Amino acid sequence: MESNPGTTETRSNLTASDGGQVTAFESLQFTDEIHRLILAPTTINASSFTALVELPPPQAVELLHSPDSTKFIAAKPPNVEDFKGSFRFPSNTSLIEPDARFSVFSGEANNGNENRDSPVSKILNSNLEKAVKSEPAETESAQPLVSDPPVEKRRIKRKGRENKVKGSTKKSKTAVNESSEDAEKLPYVHVRARRGQATDSHSLAERARREKINARMKFLQELVPGCNKISGTALVLDEIINHVQSLQRQVEFLSMRLAAVNPRIDFNLDSVFTSESGSLMDSNFPGLVMPVMWPEVQGDGHRQQYQHQWNSDALQQPVWGREVHNNYITPEKSLLTYDSSANSVTLQANQLKMEL
Amino acid sequence: MRPCNSLKLEFLKNWIMGLQRWSFSKKEMGILERKKAIKLSADIAMASARNGTTRWSRALIANAYSKHDKHLVSKGASTEYSRRIRSKKILKRSCRRIRRRSKGLVRERTRILKNLIPGGELMNEGSLIEESLDYIVSLRAQVDVMRSLVSASEVDR
Repeated sequence: MESNPGTTETRSNLTASDGGQVTAFESLQFTDEIHRLILAPTTINASSFTALVELPPPQAVELLHSPDSTKFIAAKPPNVEDFKGSFRFPSNTSLIEPDARFSVFSGEANNGNENRDSPVSKILNSNLEKAVKSEPAETESAQPLVSDPPVEKRRIKRKGRENKVKGSTKKSKTAVNESSEDAEKLPYVHVRARRGQATDSHSLAERARREKINARMKFLQELVPGCNKISGTALVLDEIINHVQSLQRQVEFLSMRLAAVNPRIDFNLDSVFTSESGSLMDSNFPGLVMPVMWPEVQGDGHRQQYQHQWNSDALQQPVWGREVHNNYITPEKSLLTYDSSANSVTLQANQLKMEL
Repeated sequence: MRPCNSLKLEFLKNWIMGLQRWSFSKKEMGILERKKAIKLSADIAMASARNGTTRWSRALIANAYSKHDKHLVSKGASTEYSRRIRSKKILKRSCRRIRRRSKGLVRERTRILKNLIPGGELMNEGSLIEESLDYIVSLRAQVDVMRSLVSASEVDR
């Protein structure tokens, strides 16, 4: 109890030092919150994420529906910044910090707008939640409890963003389940400690975040060719960067080629989306490009030439990359079918010319 | 993970429409100008095929709208995107402490990746990876379409 004035003082100090980010009015609101939280029975467990779950339900509901949610969010950066100094955080503080500040201003600036940056705020929520929840483990002051209502509120907002629940646990978290039903079935972040792993809440938080990022990296590994055998984030990132760069360079190169090939920039618009080609849209994609060239057909004699050229082109494909291979086999086939049905082809060409 | 045909079709449609707009405006263009126009309209077409669901597409459209000719991009979506991007940039610029020492291999590479992907500097690490995934798929589709177009137009020679 006696820490209350201290906390309010520190809060006002923070507000003053922040240059007016948090108004005095908000700090008053927080003193009320602090009082309520301290009076409520909270179990601050070292490895429990759910300390603030013990909030009585009506309070949680009030937080949920509170229109002053932005003010809660606005209080975030002072907390995070302050705690950064108090204990050594892993390197993700630099990632958390810009997120924290971002949410501050997004809350203030876009009060009337929809929550546009919800993906960012969701990740932000996850970061900050873990950052903030580590506080009860480290500091004994009542100040961490100040951040609990906003974190609690954010947890309410985060529907369906549960982390994975691992297998054997060192400490059971049944308290989570019980209070989850009490607090009107709010979704929770269930992160359990694995055997032999540290159960500090901030390392758990870090691990949850890491797991999320690793899952995404796995997707990327599958996508980028040649990444499956590499282990280690830095090398995989290397490969990804190379891949993106090569794709961008290919786009440049191909656009240069297209510019060189055609004198006019709208070289292929003439007949692509006319009603005639509507039926061709059902067939595979390269087939759609084929009728475009028919207006330039000189005569039947040239078709043999085309076929030869397609063959040579197809042979060149392996040089460019195996993934492009499939794309080129089908134009060949479509050319062959065109060859076999000569009459229909010329008819098509005439129709296309008429539509020009 | 091959890009699906629907994405390629969508991209092609948008691209053709974009090229149509170019042809109405200017008549005689040098090769470099044409190349720029083609590339730009291709990028915008790819980004609009995503319909504003991903951040890189929004950032790309917003950048193109602010930098290049405005007639290429539709007004409504692009102004909204550029507004979003601008507010993000202002936030980032005003709050971030400029710390340029990127220690560690992963940090360095994350920084490089952020520079590569449009709008990447505004994302945090988790969403960066997500966005780069989508960006790679779209780039692949774009390259496929352009390649087949090139070979189709070169059949004539």
